[in-house]
Amino acid sequence: CSRLHTKPTISPTLLLSNMYQRPDMLTPAPALNPQTQPNLDPRHIQDHFEDFYQDLFDELSKYGHLESLNICDNLADHMVGNVYVQFREEEHAANALRNLNGRFYSGRPIIVDFSPVTDFREATCR
Amino acid sequence: RSRSKSKRISGFDMAPPASALLSGAAAVTGQIAGATPTL
Repeated sequence: CSRLHTKPTISPTLLLSNMYQRPDMLTPAPALNPQTQPNLDPRHIQDHFEDFYQDLFDELSKYGHLESLNICDNLADHMVGNVYVQFREEEHAANALRNLNGRFYSGRPIIVDFSPVTDFREATCR
Repeated sequence: RSRSKSKRISGFDMAPPASALLSGAAAVTGQIAGATPTL
């Protein structure tokens, strides 16, 4: 979807843009061979994802109770690696946003905004 | 998963490798310096 979604001024949900990078996304296409690239082992990718999830959960839990934590593991450009985190309280989300802004994760800046999504089952763009 | 979770360092606050950029620049300079005496 290419729509410009409005960013709410306050929301219990935060969007961390393009934060998750799959190990196989970082490997140049000619090297995509599981035999020569242990990074591409499905087990490694799963471990990598779980580490990422754990990092996020631990960090975000410092700011308040998490209602849900969603990581987009799509390979298309659209929303790739986006992380949606819903706090129980809007204030906690606001606090997390203030604290995460300008910080880095694995050498990449964290891009954080409020997101209008509050129900992930209904979160498809229509 | 056999490895201990507590040992792993979080990716949070892992700054971009500025030192990698610097060492890369130094390596380039070194190459130029090495080439100069042959001229």
